[in-house]
Amino acid sequence: MNWKHVKLIFSRELRDQLRDRRTLFTITILPILLYPLMGMLMLQVAQFSREHPVQIKILGSENIPESPRLVDGEQLYSRVGLESIAPLVKISSSALPELDNEKLQAQATDMLNKGDQDLIVIFKPRFREYMDQLAQTQVGEKVEGSLLDESDRGLEVILTRSRDQSQIAYNRWQVAIEAWQQEWIATKLKGAGFDPRLVRPLHIAPVDVAPEATRRAIVWSKILPFIMLIWALTGAFYPAVDLCAGEKERGTLETLLSSPARRREIVWGKLLTVIFFSCMTALLNLGSMQFTASLLSNQLAAGGARGLAESLGTPPIYAIGWLTLALIPMASLFSALALAVAALARSTKEGQYYLMPLLLMMLPFVMIPMLPGIELSLGTSLMPVTGMVLLSRALVEGQYLEAVRYLPIVAVVTITCCLLAIRWAVRQFESESVMFRENERWDLRMWITSIWRERDFTASVMEAMLCGAIILVVKFFASLASTDPISDFAGLSKAVLVGQLALILTPTLLMAIMLTKSVRTSLRVNAPKPIDFAVCVLLAIAFHPLAMWFSTAVTTVYPLSPAMIEATSGITKAIIDTPLWMILLTLAVLPAFCEEVAFRGFIFGGLIRQNGVLRAILVSALFFGLTHGVLQQSISATFMGMLLGWVAWRTGGIVCTIAMHLIHNSLSILLSRAATNETSPAWLDLFVTFEKGGFHYDASWTTVSVVLSVACLWILYVRSSDSIVANESRTVDRPLTD
Amino acid sequence: MIEVEKLKKVYSDLAKGEFVALAGISFRAQPGEIFGLLGPNGAGKTTALRILSTVLRPSSGLVRINGFDVMTHPAEVRRSIGFVSNNTAIYDRMTAWEMVEYFGKLYDIPEDRLKDRMEMIFQQLAMGDIRDVPGAKMSTGMKQKVSIARAMVHDPPVLIFDEASVGLDVMVARSLLKIIASLRDEGKCVIFSTHIMREVERICDRVAILYRGCILDEGTLPELSERHQQNDFEELFFEMLSNYDRERAEKLAAGGNPS
Repeated sequence: MNWKHVKLIFSRELRDQLRDRRTLFTITILPILLYPLMGMLMLQVAQFSREHPVQIKILGSENIPESPRLVDGEQLYSRVGLESIAPLVKISSSALPELDNEKLQAQATDMLNKGDQDLIVIFKPRFREYMDQLAQTQVGEKVEGSLLDESDRGLEVILTRSRDQSQIAYNRWQVAIEAWQQEWIATKLKGAGFDPRLVRPLHIAPVDVAPEATRRAIVWSKILPFIMLIWALTGAFYPAVDLCAGEKERGTLETLLSSPARRREIVWGKLLTVIFFSCMTALLNLGSMQFTASLLSNQLAAGGARGLAESLGTPPIYAIGWLTLALIPMASLFSALALAVAALARSTKEGQYYLMPLLLMMLPFVMIPMLPGIELSLGTSLMPVTGMVLLSRALVEGQYLEAVRYLPIVAVVTITCCLLAIRWAVRQFESESVMFRENERWDLRMWITSIWRERDFTASVMEAMLCGAIILVVKFFASLASTDPISDFAGLSKAVLVGQLALILTPTLLMAIMLTKSVRTSLRVNAPKPIDFAVCVLLAIAFHPLAMWFSTAVTTVYPLSPAMIEATSGITKAIIDTPLWMILLTLAVLPAFCEEVAFRGFIFGGLIRQNGVLRAILVSALFFGLTHGVLQQSISATFMGMLLGWVAWRTGGIVCTIAMHLIHNSLSILLSRAATNETSPAWLDLFVTFEKGGFHYDASWTTVSVVLSVACLWILYVRSSDSIVANESRTVDRPLTD
Repeated sequence: MIEVEKLKKVYSDLAKGEFVALAGISFRAQPGEIFGLLGPNGAGKTTALRILSTVLRPSSGLVRINGFDVMTHPAEVRRSIGFVSNNTAIYDRMTAWEMVEYFGKLYDIPEDRLKDRMEMIFQQLAMGDIRDVPGAKMSTGMKQKVSIARAMVHDPPVLIFDEASVGLDVMVARSLLKIIASLRDEGKCVIFSTHIMREVERICDRVAILYRGCILDEGTLPELSERHQQNDFEELFFEMLSNYDRERAEKLAAGGNPS
């Protein structure tokens, strides 16, 4: 790669974007204005809430006990704990009108609706008498029945939640009446010769040893990464669209592609520009936010809201430093994705349509760390974006040991995602069909006619993707429809029959019949060479320990929930209790056939077209994994799907993968049954250890199986038919790559 | 200088399925010659020229420019050509000088030589007054001049003009044809695609008539007139296209392969 070209393209794009008013507005003007404006608004709101005391109307003030005092003229009586609330409550008192309860409530409602009052408190006629009687009651003395009649001795509070002020008044009143009640109890206890502290013997004053900076960092550690990533995404979008779709629109892309700069160099030059703007947007937002927050906290502290000022404070400068470090890989990932997606668009308008789904897909990964209880762990560190957000949060909070522990995993995941995204972007630029897409006027009738007229021997890439998507969607709705847990073989067989035959095999066969010229070719039903078949059988047996180890590793990293274990216990029971041939037919033969026909047959056959070997292996494995529903199963199935995809590619058909799938499932069933059977064959102990109703392969056999698996894969690689591989990887419109 | 042998290009189209844009065309163009590629819209001119400029890859056939194969030596081909597309392809936020300089640098021309070369081109194309004008403020004629300057900056032996006169007013179009003629006089090999007969008559030394991905005939204008017994070139062109369509329809009616 010629880095001089990359630098040249980068500097041109950078200069071009800096001359664009829209870009400048998004990356500089918006953050500079946004946070000060938000700060001003916050101050205004704070001022608004401070300057608006609530109005409380007390009806029946003559019924309030004299001691302890509740009201002091037109204010609450100020006592310990009410210093801040008392000045914010205006009281107007009057005697209880001579009305029945219904009319009294109607009058109170009228006062609230007019807005004159925010809360009406009614002290019933016998409230004072009741409290006085209660004050004189001795320990163990029986309370008279009349005291239990609440209709005329209670306290009624009337509010309207349709107005915020009414709710605020109610909250303040609750605090005031609670404090009054505490004092009443304390006086009563004191009078009876008890220590008032008996009611609340414990006074817990937590001692927070965290330095103030760290306490502030914890608040900011949750907010800042979220804001930073959202702005990094936004900052990548506009330049990506302009650099791809904009260039197509202006016609300059064709000129650039015919220059000596190679596609890879063009992508890198553009990518660096998008990364630059993504980083700058995020950093300027962080900087502006930090500056505004420091001013705001001073203002809040000066204005009396010291608590809020202390809890927010200024984001620590080292937090910004850590976030900047985390920003670079994140911005690279977002930029590469944005560039690859924007390359599809023919105009800037179309580009914006494409980028919105990308934003929506990224959002959950950015939002997950905001959920309560989500922390940096092996499981979360393996999640793209989420892992990096949690890592940067740990760094901001000063949990360096935790951060260092998961840094390698997060780094590997992030770098892998970045490289894949960059590779995708480069491929987009290398693809003629992406770079020179014409404006097709889409017509449903024409489209259907063309699909029928232009049928090929295998599915197209789009048809393969559509098949995978249909299977996933129908499986999803079927899972919502079936709510009964599986408890026996009848339930299990019903679920498997419907799932495999109706939801996987039927759509696949229908699509193969309707969309292709040859069902057999589209499903890749080719007779394998006997030696290849034998090697695949051996590979399935040899690979089983590795697959089991991977499954165990997945459930260790992402443990099954107790509810999930409970739900799967019925399946385990059915596996053990049902005759072997029936369970093998249901869980080994049927899935092996149906799933291989769909995923390694129709879908794989469509995806492998136009040099899409890697795409076919990965995407078919992903579809295969996702149909398994449970996350842990999905991950293991995707792993297995990749192996089966590779074998399907090298052997040129699905017969070998059906055999491998069948053997894999059968071995799992047989070993599960053997684990619960006290009389399992003695020779099995050479390979497997049974304990706690489960099994695991011995380390020695696992080692041998790794060697055997590698040997089988190597034999398949060497022996695989060149003609099939060459035929499938042939391209119709493969672009120039340099 | 330019050798095209049995060049074929097949597009995969959603509506039309497999669409043959070029059905195995062949032609040659020499230095000091303007080779015209004449055809109606959709004939395959842009596809052919995009393959020549290595932007598209041929489905089959051989294309050699300045001795380099577009498939095996695309980098060398790109250094040998200057490509002017059918839209002016100008960056709105760059001045004329910056734009030409940018492409000059992409061609790895040393700084001092590039400056001299640019001064010469700006003078030759009378672009002194638009030197610091940004693309967004240029007229179509100005943009086309910048586009040509950009294609000439590395002094390539081959220049490809893809319907470069489309959308230009008469004065600018005349000026463009003059520039192209002067390039021929400098010994450059020029490929000029158009659907305007008068332009072909004015500047092309030889011409190939392209229709539905096939070259119907090729030669100098007198040769074509003699072969088809038609002195009016526009009539000649129209008759050739009509005859081709008629023969194709007859083949289809007979159940044969129209291509």
